[in-house]
Amino acid sequence: MTNLQSLEFFIPELILTITILAALITDLFVKKSKTNMIGWVLGVGLVVVGLSVHNLSSAPPTTLFLDMIVIDPFSSFMKIVIILSTLLVIVASWVNDELEKYRKGEYFTIMGIMVMGLFLMTSSVDIIMLYISIEVVSIMSFVLAAYLKLDTRSNEAGLKYVIYGAFSSGVMLFGLSIVYGLAGSTNYFAIQDTLSSLDGSANPALIMALLMIFAGFGYKISSVPFHFWTPDVYEGSPSTITAYLSVAPKAAGFAMIIRFFHQVFSDSIGLTSNSIGSTDLPWPEIIGVLAVVTMTMGNLVAIQQKSIKRMLAYSSIAHAGYMMLALPVLSMEAVESIMIYLFIYVFMNLGAFFIVIFVKNKTGGESFEDFEGLGWKMPIVGAFMTLFMLSLTGLPPTAGFVGKLYIFKTLVGAGSEFLWLVIAGGVNSVISLYYYFHVVKVMFLGGKRSDVITYPPSTMFGLMIFTAVPSLILGLYWNPLASWVKDSLVFYNQVM
Amino acid sequence: MADLVFWIIAAVTIMSAAFVVLNNQLIYSAVALLFTLFGVAGLYVFLWADFIAGIQILVYVGGILVLVIFGIMLTNKIKSVRISHKSMQQGVGGVVTFWFFIFLFIALTKAPWAFSDAVEPVGTVREIGVLLLTDFLLPFEIISLLLLGALIGAAVLSRGES
Amino acid sequence: MYRDFGTVFFAVIMGIVMVSIPLIISWLIAPSNKTKDKLDTYECGEEAEGSAWLQFNIRFYIIALIFLIFDVEVVFLFPWAVVFKEMGLIALIEMGIFLLILCAGLAYVWVKSDLEWVRRRIKYGGGRYKPLSASSED
Repeated sequence: MTNLQSLEFFIPELILTITILAALITDLFVKKSKTNMIGWVLGVGLVVVGLSVHNLSSAPPTTLFLDMIVIDPFSSFMKIVIILSTLLVIVASWVNDELEKYRKGEYFTIMGIMVMGLFLMTSSVDIIMLYISIEVVSIMSFVLAAYLKLDTRSNEAGLKYVIYGAFSSGVMLFGLSIVYGLAGSTNYFAIQDTLSSLDGSANPALIMALLMIFAGFGYKISSVPFHFWTPDVYEGSPSTITAYLSVAPKAAGFAMIIRFFHQVFSDSIGLTSNSIGSTDLPWPEIIGVLAVVTMTMGNLVAIQQKSIKRMLAYSSIAHAGYMMLALPVLSMEAVESIMIYLFIYVFMNLGAFFIVIFVKNKTGGESFEDFEGLGWKMPIVGAFMTLFMLSLTGLPPTAGFVGKLYIFKTLVGAGSEFLWLVIAGGVNSVISLYYYFHVVKVMFLGGKRSDVITYPPSTMFGLMIFTAVPSLILGLYWNPLASWVKDSLVFYNQVM
Repeated sequence: MADLVFWIIAAVTIMSAAFVVLNNQLIYSAVALLFTLFGVAGLYVFLWADFIAGIQILVYVGGILVLVIFGIMLTNKIKSVRISHKSMQQGVGGVVTFWFFIFLFIALTKAPWAFSDAVEPVGTVREIGVLLLTDFLLPFEIISLLLLGALIGAAVLSRGES
Repeated sequence: MYRDFGTVFFAVIMGIVMVSIPLIISWLIAPSNKTKDKLDTYECGEEAEGSAWLQFNIRFYIIALIFLIFDVEVVFLFPWAVVFKEMGLIALIEMGIFLLILCAGLAYVWVKSDLEWVRRRIKYGGGRYKPLSASSED
């Protein structure tokens, strides 16, 4: 589609751009105590964007802007997941006490630009567009991670994130440039044409390029050899940003990985079990090993953590590992399971983080000691936290179980060479039970019992309900989600 | 003759880059970075990217290197780098890096690169202009958002709170 | 293209050579008797006191940062200016959108008084700028 014709399908992003500019201009007129209003501007804008994404989700899949991005139901699904998580984090930012001393105008504006980058990450089909969208998301998250200027841990988080992110982006760009050199074009479809007709002499270069590209992608989703930034950045950032970083870039990162490997190496049909295109790279084994190592490392190190925020950081690494379990298969069923897991993961992870924010507001700390006795002082919060911990572990009847069920179902149905992944996933779920239930034990069995029951303030309470209800209901009745995901499982296929 | 100039520029670039990394004095590293960036601009000329070579000098040397030097001068109590932890496993790291380099070298020289049959253009500015406004319009507009975000972020983080 | 850049390269080399030949010649030929008084910093005849290292002003850094962002914007303006005339109105609109977004950034930096040498406390709404000594909300 030419540039002018693409505009009618680009309406959500145009509305988002206008929202960003409106948020920026509004920030020039408000006092520090009233900067929450900019969150309202951004939130209303995002709701309008969400409605227009939903409007366009039934449009036929096409490429826009001369094959730069696509619009298809898969990208619409991912965009709605991103919008939901952003809206929840915006509401949480209003009640977070860490941000009290700072102006939040720029915070919301930068978050808006990051949402734009996330949208483009999920829908790009060109190497240049991919890289630019990754950079938009990365740079905005550097700024947000370092937002608390008076807190040295936040400065440290931002600095570590910058250095690690710049290096990973550089390595990924080198890999992408090798792919461009082999293919002669930056478009995924043209690359896929050329790569499938190459002979074996391109194999070493292609293997190097793939490994380097996966280094960049792995940094975005915190998979294991590229995860070292995650605990420090998650611990130092403002808690709302930690919550946001653990869901939104991860969702967009998975969308990007699925689209890249799906399109470039298999033309949206499905990877065979032995090779990518014509290379000899044992792709399923490598990704499988990486997924198992990610899960195991995330779970094992989370056991030793004393701070809940850091524990949740390691648990988010482990969840990325669970989602990566479906990547060796990369059939339509695997993509469906990743999408379902992502949707459920957004709610349960954000819920857990919101309770951490609430406890930090009350007691100023985020270690296990601050959670003691919470179950008796505030039974509702204790109950919600128990629900989130159950869901993160993956026990029925919560939604986390449904997510893991889909992933394991995919693996079992894919053949016997993936059975070891199922076993590893099961073992890791059992390991994660230990540290998730440590939280529950501290809440209900630690500290003194008190007779006074307090309730969380209303906004916080609303947030907790909004994240807890899907975590429970989707574990019992997930048909709407499953059918929505099935409808969205349409990728753009270039009709030859 | 062009080959000789290429080898000289490449050697200058690599030696300056090594100097940046290995030296103890920060200001010396910054000046070596200057030579590295000039060398890279020279390498761009060999790829027929004359506009990019000029922009490299304008933006990188004239902007980013100036920022690096300002950053060094802001931390003026640190006159030389005294690192509290030296890098560990330097031997193993050296061996791994060396083999990675060998593998990369072999892979990249044997790969069947896609050659185009373009002739040397008179100047690339016009082509870049046309492409920016037609084929690559969306990245161009998104870069404006990226620059906006970078501007806001930089201003927020570096302003001194009263 | 190589010929033109070869000329530039030759000019750069000649510049470096022209500067370094006199320095090398003087290093080779000139005598060197260093005494303590000769090694002192020259301060127009006065005695130098204190350390030469001052606390660097952070305003230089902020100005350089803002300059860099707008420098990259100018980089995009160059190729556009070359093809603008033959591409007509659509090129103007596209560049207009680009510049509009960056103008919003300029407006932001301007209002927050990051472009001024002395950053003022900003009072939002009515009587925008107060002198530094008066307290206001920011």
